[in-house]
Amino acid sequence: MVRMKSSHARAAALTALLAFSALPASAQEIEHHKTEKAKPAAPAPTVTQEMLTNAGSDAKQFLHTNANYEQTRFYPGKQINASNVSKLRPAWIFQMDVRESLETSPIIVGEVMYVTTSFDHVYALNAKTGEEYWHYKHKMGPITTYCCGPNNRGVAVLGDKVYFATLDAKLVALDAKTGSLVWETEIADPELGYSETMAPSAVNGKILIGTNGGEYGIRGFFRAYDANTGKLVWNFDTVPEDSVGVWATKDASGHDMHRDIAAEKAQLAKTGDPYKTLGGGVWQNPAVDLKLNRIYFVVGNPSPDLDGSKRPGDNLYTDSLVALDLDTGKYVCHFQYIPHDVWDLDSVSPPILIDVKDKDGKTVPGVVHAGKTGYVYVNKRDDCGIIRISDVMVAQENFWTLPTPKGARMLPGANGGVEWSPMAVNQRLNLTYAVNLHQPMTYQVQTSPYPEGKLWLGGAFKVIPGEEQFGNVSAVNYNTGKIKWQVQTPQPMMGGVLATAGDLVFTGEANGWFRAYDAESGKILWSFQSGAGVNAPPSAYAIDGKEYVVVGAGGNTQIDFKRGNNIIAFTLD
Amino acid sequence: MMSAMRSAQIAIAGIVAAFPLVPTAVSAASVEENAQTCAGCHGENGVPQAKTTPIIWGQNEGYLYIQLRDFKSGARKSDQMSAVVASLEKADFKALAAHFAGLKWPILGQPSPPKDAAKAALTVIGSVGCTSCHLDQFQGDGTTARLAGQQSEYLFNTMTAFRDGSRANNPGMSDLMKAVQPSDIKPLAEYLASLQVVGGQQ
Ligand code: HEC
Ligand code: HEC
Repeated sequence: MVRMKSSHARAAALTALLAFSALPASAQEIEHHKTEKAKPAAPAPTVTQEMLTNAGSDAKQFLHTNANYEQTRFYPGKQINASNVSKLRPAWIFQMDVRESLETSPIIVGEVMYVTTSFDHVYALNAKTGEEYWHYKHKMGPITTYCCGPNNRGVAVLGDKVYFATLDAKLVALDAKTGSLVWETEIADPELGYSETMAPSAVNGKILIGTNGGEYGIRGFFRAYDANTGKLVWNFDTVPEDSVGVWATKDASGHDMHRDIAAEKAQLAKTGDPYKTLGGGVWQNPAVDLKLNRIYFVVGNPSPDLDGSKRPGDNLYTDSLVALDLDTGKYVCHFQYIPHDVWDLDSVSPPILIDVKDKDGKTVPGVVHAGKTGYVYVNKRDDCGIIRISDVMVAQENFWTLPTPKGARMLPGANGGVEWSPMAVNQRLNLTYAVNLHQPMTYQVQTSPYPEGKLWLGGAFKVIPGEEQFGNVSAVNYNTGKIKWQVQTPQPMMGGVLATAGDLVFTGEANGWFRAYDAESGKILWSFQSGAGVNAPPSAYAIDGKEYVVVGAGGNTQIDFKRGNNIIAFTLD
Repeated sequence: MMSAMRSAQIAIAGIVAAFPLVPTAVSAASVEENAQTCAGCHGENGVPQAKTTPIIWGQNEGYLYIQLRDFKSGARKSDQMSAVVASLEKADFKALAAHFAGLKWPILGQPSPPKDAAKAALTVIGSVGCTSCHLDQFQGDGTTARLAGQQSEYLFNTMTAFRDGSRANNPGMSDLMKAVQPSDIKPLAEYLASLQVVGGQQ
């Protein structure tokens, strides 16, 4: 459903409002807004496709969730660098109305910053002063079905609009200057387990978006909508009607997965292909290759998470890298990291497009992705084939032990490895930076039929009380697969990384510390205590010749880190 | 001044467009009538008559709707509730859910459990990660139930029912309860019942 808002509709609505103004609830709204001081419109320049295409070399703005179409999260400015970062201080702190899990990537257009909160609020701020231009609260429908926190990871920008997606599975376009609603499209039915937390991506007049729902037996998809009208342009089902694959017995790293192929084949003969309820959400942004005219994204876990008995086969394209044609959404190639996953180790950290060395030392276009397995995977861009797998960043214990009814212990736990946290790369150093979790879990399996949109885990994964948990910041050479340096953190890491041309790496911790590391050595060069978990990816920008680094400090629902409501921008004196 | 007025008006129009004031398909009178039936067990003032009957005043709207839907379809079994919903339809469920979600959750002031019981409850909560779905302070949202301040006996019964499969309308919750030791269910119920309701998360 697409709802267009015209000035005519506005006039009608205004009349309706006057007619109903005796209703107490609406009267309250009116009072509230009458007394609110009118704010100036946000002076955001029109975002052209050229600006989006060249974002990688633009040190003034931060136009994509992961910095640029290649998703390198590499900021080209070097005013803030290893020699002066110790003098970094807060320029301003903005406190939002919602104090809940904060995973937003701030987007900066001209001198306007867009951030989002849990429960789908959007703010436009003055990026220089932290003052608010507008605040949009999505009117949430009564039915929302999501598992892991009421998160929102931010907006996409194109033309004069900002785009975001909601927990009740809507795609929304707002006027970038005023924050008023332009259109709203229902992506899917939340009663069937669909929801949205990812930021959309904008390219060539299209808004790209996936879906959550791998814990509810959805059939996953990735889609393009028309940026002007909100109409569907193309749809790609992430689970094909033939989802069986090649009955792979090993994962991409060559470990035996202990599949009972005979039992699976018997199940297939009995119940057929499970594609309709097989999950396969996509909940992080795609990388865009404008030269090849392709997008690359990773697909989440199969449903139900831990019980493979009712979903025979490799469960394509769950836990996979997938490439599509940007114009048509047609399949180009895929690579499955974990066939027939029964540990919820879905592929989620966004893939990165950079040149890499192939097995013969030749430079080729590559795709780099960090798995919940704790590996960095380096694939070829032409046919999605694997080039190499890195040293493992997190200890593996009882790796590929099957879940049992009583519970079996395994490391990594269901959060990884590496969770949704985006990596950043420094191509001068051939390093990719990932944040890790060391969180052993017990995996239990239970069988139940498809529950029509209800929670469908196929068992339970539990953190083990008393067992040590911690995190790492890891720098991995993607041309050799070797870990260059690793710094241990007291808690598991979830949030994301920013690398800069100043040879710095920024990332935050659950205990409130936001830190800058030396990109080459991993030495901690600067730290700031934010008062709440820094579990969001940082961004950077420049205004009037002055560089800023900005990050959200609001904690995290999924692993219950201390909540807050701050957006903090830092600069040098 | 003028331009300030104009933008205030546009802001109001925006709100109206986003929150249409169109009455729902069911008339206000019939929601009231239906709600009268509920008061017999769920309480005139939101405090249920029996300790095994859940509080529904101020519960999350999506959750209330889904439960009524599930009682009707038989996915959730209860002799009392299935008789109640037999003559009602989807539109009634939506209206009733909106109605009860809008009422104030009653504060029962249930006592905190003894220290070692609270500790046992918190260990399970940390291990399973209950708040990743039931959210900070167990307020819930959407189709996930608010648990804070719910009746202790009801919580115990329904968690036990999830565990033994007699409440079968959410296999995910059943799986999670099967991963919990039976002896931890009472401490969990008492702990959750003793929590305060923080009146909406926004
Ligand atoms: C005869 C007594 C009775 C009447 C009348 C009654 N209920 Fe119930 N209700 C119950 C009981 C008992 C339960 C708990 C059922 C169970 O868990 O087995 C319940 C459960 C519920 C639940 C699930 C709450 C939760 O936390 O899961 C909802 C929602 C509900 N009732 C709504 C209503 C509505 C709306 C009405 C009126 C239309 C109503 N009930 C009338 C006794 C009643
Ligand atoms: C992955 C998400 C998730 C987790 C984790 C989770 N729950 Fe739930 N819980 C739900 C959902 C969704 C419902 C609503 C069930 C339904 O649809 O009927 C629910 C319902 C409940 C209910 C019933 C409430 C009522 O009014 O009847 C209780 C009690 C409960 N959960 C307790 C717990 C406890 C205790 C834990 C941790 C040990 C836990 N839950 C963990 C999602 C979750």
